[in-house]
Amino acid sequence: MGIIHTSRIKSPWIMHFDNSSCNGCDIEVLACLTPLYDIERFGIVNMGNPKHADVLVVTGAVNRRTARVLKNLYDQIPDPKMVVAVGTCACSGGVFHNCYNILGGVDKVIPVDVYVPGCAARPEAIIDGVVLALQKLAKLQGVAI
Amino acid sequence: MQLDWMMAVAILLPLISGILVYIIRQYHIRGLIVVLTAIALIINSILFVKQGLPIEYTPEGYNWGLVITVLDYVILLFYIYAGLSLRNWLVLIFALTQIIPLAYWEFGMGAHAEVEPAFFIDHLAVVMTLIISIIGSLICVYAIRYMYDHEHHLHLENSRQSRFLFWLVMFLGAMNGLVFANNIYWLYFFWEVTTLCCFELIAHDLTTEAINNAARALWMNSLGGTAFVLAIIYLYMNHGGAEALSMQNIISGGLGQAVALLPIALLCFTGFTKAAQMPFQSWLLGAMVAPTPVSALLHSSTMVKAGVYLVVRLAPAFAGSYLSIMVALAGAFTFFGASALAISQTNAKRVLAYSTIANLGLIIACAGINTPLSIAAAILLIIFHAISKGLLFMCAGTIDHIIWSRDIEDMEGLAEKAPVVTFITAVGILSMFMPPFGMLLGKWMALEAVYIVPLAAILFVLASAVTIVFWAKWLGRLLQVLPRLGKKWEKLSLSYSVPLWVLVIGIFVVGIGVAPIYQKFVHFAVTNVIAAEEVFAQGWNIVIPGSAAASAAQAVGAYPVWPLFLVLAAALFVPFICLALKPGELRPVYMCGEQVGGTDADEWITAGEQKAKLQLGGYYFQSVLGEAALNPWVNTIAIALLVILFGVSLGRWS
Amino acid sequence: MNQWLLAIIAVVVAPFIGGILAGIDRKISARLQGRWGPPIVQPFYDFFKLLGKSKIAVSRVQLVWLYGYLFFMITSLVLLVLQQDILLLVFMLGFAGICFVLAGFSCKSPYSHFGANRELLQMLSYEPVLLLMALAIYAQNGSFMISEIFKNNTPLIVPLWPIFIALIYVLTIKLRKSPFDISTSHHAHQELVKGIMTEFSGPYYALVLLTEWYEIVLLLGLVSLFWANPLWVGIIIALAAFVLEMFIDNIAARMTAGWMVKVSWAVGLILGVLNLAYLYLKKGVL
Repeated sequence: MGIIHTSRIKSPWIMHFDNSSCNGCDIEVLACLTPLYDIERFGIVNMGNPKHADVLVVTGAVNRRTARVLKNLYDQIPDPKMVVAVGTCACSGGVFHNCYNILGGVDKVIPVDVYVPGCAARPEAIIDGVVLALQKLAKLQGVAI
Repeated sequence: MQLDWMMAVAILLPLISGILVYIIRQYHIRGLIVVLTAIALIINSILFVKQGLPIEYTPEGYNWGLVITVLDYVILLFYIYAGLSLRNWLVLIFALTQIIPLAYWEFGMGAHAEVEPAFFIDHLAVVMTLIISIIGSLICVYAIRYMYDHEHHLHLENSRQSRFLFWLVMFLGAMNGLVFANNIYWLYFFWEVTTLCCFELIAHDLTTEAINNAARALWMNSLGGTAFVLAIIYLYMNHGGAEALSMQNIISGGLGQAVALLPIALLCFTGFTKAAQMPFQSWLLGAMVAPTPVSALLHSSTMVKAGVYLVVRLAPAFAGSYLSIMVALAGAFTFFGASALAISQTNAKRVLAYSTIANLGLIIACAGINTPLSIAAAILLIIFHAISKGLLFMCAGTIDHIIWSRDIEDMEGLAEKAPVVTFITAVGILSMFMPPFGMLLGKWMALEAVYIVPLAAILFVLASAVTIVFWAKWLGRLLQVLPRLGKKWEKLSLSYSVPLWVLVIGIFVVGIGVAPIYQKFVHFAVTNVIAAEEVFAQGWNIVIPGSAAASAAQAVGAYPVWPLFLVLAAALFVPFICLALKPGELRPVYMCGEQVGGTDADEWITAGEQKAKLQLGGYYFQSVLGEAALNPWVNTIAIALLVILFGVSLGRWS
Repeated sequence: MNQWLLAIIAVVVAPFIGGILAGIDRKISARLQGRWGPPIVQPFYDFFKLLGKSKIAVSRVQLVWLYGYLFFMITSLVLLVLQQDILLLVFMLGFAGICFVLAGFSCKSPYSHFGANRELLQMLSYEPVLLLMALAIYAQNGSFMISEIFKNNTPLIVPLWPIFIALIYVLTIKLRKSPFDISTSHHAHQELVKGIMTEFSGPYYALVLLTEWYEIVLLLGLVSLFWANPLWVGIIIALAAFVLEMFIDNIAARMTAGWMVKVSWAVGLILGVLNLAYLYLKKGVL
């Protein structure tokens, strides 16, 4: 199983889901794809499809409408999977905390592995967050990274 | 003596049991008679294989010639009556164009149409009679229950099942007579009997649409009949009387002089009308209104096969002429046109009908190419097409009786309601184009043979690409299932399931054993048509050896039948191990996370928080490939091809 | 028996070659876009990762077709290595494609249905060209056997250059490169989520990747047949064609399915028919 464990670390495909973000963090997530940051160096590919994803990157606070969708998407990702909450809103609800339609951070709906705070989170921080998630996965599997 | 009985069983028994069925109006006894007739016909047809072929046979005792002549006029007078009572002038006109020249020829010129032998039974005829007797009989068995359900569904007061079975069973006798006949005047009689049976069967439901379509089938086939009559008269007058009416004399040059191409072209034209080649495809499509056993019978073993049989039989008579090339082109064009039209059809039976027309075009094109390889392809295609199409039509009928719809779009999720029928239908569809099965083998041989007719080669290439599209589309619709497959197998009446399963087994047996069957049997049928020295089979595989000019070891093509079936078996076996998925491993499809429900979700929540059901449909390209868009074009080209066909046959060019 | 050994070696080695080629594809694409790009062995990481994911399927029928796709693709490759009938090879390749389409059709998913329908249109576009290629090879060699190509000293590309161009054109469709990445697309591209691939996940998606690697090798093998003597020239031509596809992929925008069918029938048929007509005239069949 060694090669499969190693491969898991080397090929995280991410799926990006936007709850009720102001789009600030979304733009930073997409910035990671640009030649400047080029996350494909690490084998990271942005997938539009939970069935192919390994890492779920969530931006924005969870509202009553998106909670169900977020849960559905999370369930459709095959195991093993990691969740990275990007931005202050995704971590805790941010400035929208206690709004009438906001449930709070992503962890109110699905388990979160890594929190990347910031408003908006910088691309370096996002990449760092994904790498942290992978390190956590590696530790769980007992593989060196 | 034994031969007398065998001929009687093949031709007269269906008539007698037809009459019995007509008189005895009791469901079980009627069914028993049909089943017994079917068994007798099947055994009888297999006995023919055991005979030393070819057999020459002329019935003695009665003046059969007189009987046939009288019956011939009875049928033609009935056509006139039908034309008058339906007020369909085309039917009337083409009945008159048959009866007037025929009467003038027989009585005005005092012709004698006595030919020795009256019947000539060679391997090609036996191949045909095997198809007719086995597949046709199975369809009759299928019809017993089908017609019962059919009338039950329509809530008819007076049962007309007896009448239906009468025509259906009699059809088989007429077809047997047709393929055995050597005297082409007798052949013409059997030809008219099949036209009559076809007319009665299409009109069976007596709706306006059914009657109109039956009338169309009648006048188109009468047009072909007219050409047949003219061909008979031409041959009789120009090639030495009754001797020229012997099929064997026509094709093997036994007349001392080459036969003119015009009568041959007329006979081919007759074959085209019967095989529903463009521009005559509309009668076969109209025949879809009839109950499904009729379609199954017309498409697989009888009627249209008579048309292609005649063209294949005549192939040596036009070998090496421009007529041959035109036959190839007309067939290839129908192959392409009908395949393209099939894409736009939503009705399952119409898809099947277009596919039949296309495949008949392919067979006729093979006859036109006129090499040993292409004739072998034509005969193999006749066999495989009969099995697959018989099965598919019976499946379409069974599905019709489960969901009461023939629309492909309605077949979504059928695997849940009726897994067995879905499975059989899938096998039927796959057998039409999947590599190891016979149809593809035939198509492969045809493509390897088509090289010498360049234009036909290009049409073949386009048509084979188009063909897979409509099959895949239908199969995809049929097998598109929600994860929970039907747990319970549906119960089918024996009258349904026996013919279906026999044909499924037939597809596999004939498919796997095609090489030995070819070498031991079909090969001789090919030699009946064209001198074939080449042997295509090597062990269990089909290999086409190079011509004598090239080195003997160098093959032109090879089709490893046996290894391909192994691949198929492996491809089916491996996933079955994986099929044992745990229910938890089945997840709903991706609908942007908006799906409602568990594994088999097909609902989603819209922007207005409303539940909406997911509806999917196939691509049909109505505006580009629909009948309205394509028919004017294909019919014009097809008519032009027919005109050129007659043009080149006026002089004997070669 | 030697031939069979060769076939087994080909079946084992082909995925490695295919995977490496896919990796080179990603690397070069990244460089063309001014990025550093993933390591060359990245496709293998993806493959093994997918193998290790939990099994998730949307319907059981899907699996049958996915295995059919793989098996028939391998069969075509074996036919190529054993130098069998090229027409049969094209049929097998076509049926592998059909299996893939049916896998896409076998669940009630809108995206995978769109993809499957478009994949069918793609097949409609390339199938005639491949069949014409087989006919042209017969016209040139008098045989459909691939073994005959190797006996011939004149490279096929000389009399068959129009068909060769048509084949390169078809290669773009077959490898699902822009402008024809219509049914689905590779790595960072998206088309209707992931088109026909949307519902294949985990190990089953790995199966599709594996089949695609076989497909790359098979198609490049077909291209290299055009200079079969000596074969290394053919292989260089095939690799050059592969690089050319990458450039086309990066400079072209995605087109619509209808446009694809029209243009590929026009290009493929005109080139193919002209080529065949030339061969017919040369051989005196017409």
